[in-house]
Amino acid sequence: MQSQEKNPPNGRATESDGVHTIGQRVDRASDSAQEAWTQTRGAFSGLTDAIDIKGRVKRRPYGAVAAALGLGYVIGGGIFTPLTARIVRLGLRIGVRLAIVPLLKDQIAGLASVLADGESGAGRGTGKGHKAGK
Amino acid sequence: MEMTDQIEATAREIGDRVRPQIEDAKRRLTSLNDKAIDYIKENPGTCLVGAVALGFLIGKIARRV
Repeated sequence: MQSQEKNPPNGRATESDGVHTIGQRVDRASDSAQEAWTQTRGAFSGLTDAIDIKGRVKRRPYGAVAAALGLGYVIGGGIFTPLTARIVRLGLRIGVRLAIVPLLKDQIAGLASVLADGESGAGRGTGKGHKAGK
Repeated sequence: MEMTDQIEATAREIGDRVRPQIEDAKRRLTSLNDKAIDYIKENPGTCLVGAVALGFLIGKIARRV
C-alpha cells in the first residue's frame, strides 16, 4: 500500500483525488437528501397539522371514515355510475321528505286556516247582507 | 271483555319476554359501537387507508356493473 502511495502508477494520484471528491460528493448528496427529507417532512407535518386528521378522527370517527370511503369511491371512478345515480335519487327523496314535506304541511295548514277564517267571515258577511237585503 | 283481557295479557307476556332480549341487543350494539370508535381513534391511519381502499374497490365494481 505504502509503495503504491509513494510511487503511484499513472493516474493513481488523480484517482485518490477522485475518491476524495466522490466522497465529498456523496457527503454533499447525503446532506442535500437529508435536507430535502427534512423539508418534505416539515411540509407534510404542516399539511397534516392544517388538515388535522387525527383531531377530526377523534371528534367524528364515523364521519372521517365515511369521508375516506367517499374519497376512495370517487378515486375508483364510481361517481358517474348508475349506483351513484340511485344513491343520489334516494338521498334526494329522503331530503325532500325530511325538509320540504313539513314545510308544505305548514304552508297548507296556514292556507287552510286562512281560507276557513275567510269563509266564516264571508259567511257572516253574506248573512248580514241577506239580513240587510231583507 | 274477556277476549280483550286475554289479548292484553298475551301482549304483556310477549312484551315481558321480548324486553330482556331487546335490552341485551341494545347493550351489545352499544358495546360494539364503543369498540369500533375506540379502534378508529387508536388506529386512524389504518382505518382511513382501509376506508379509501374499500371505497376505491366499490367504485371500481360500480363502474363495471
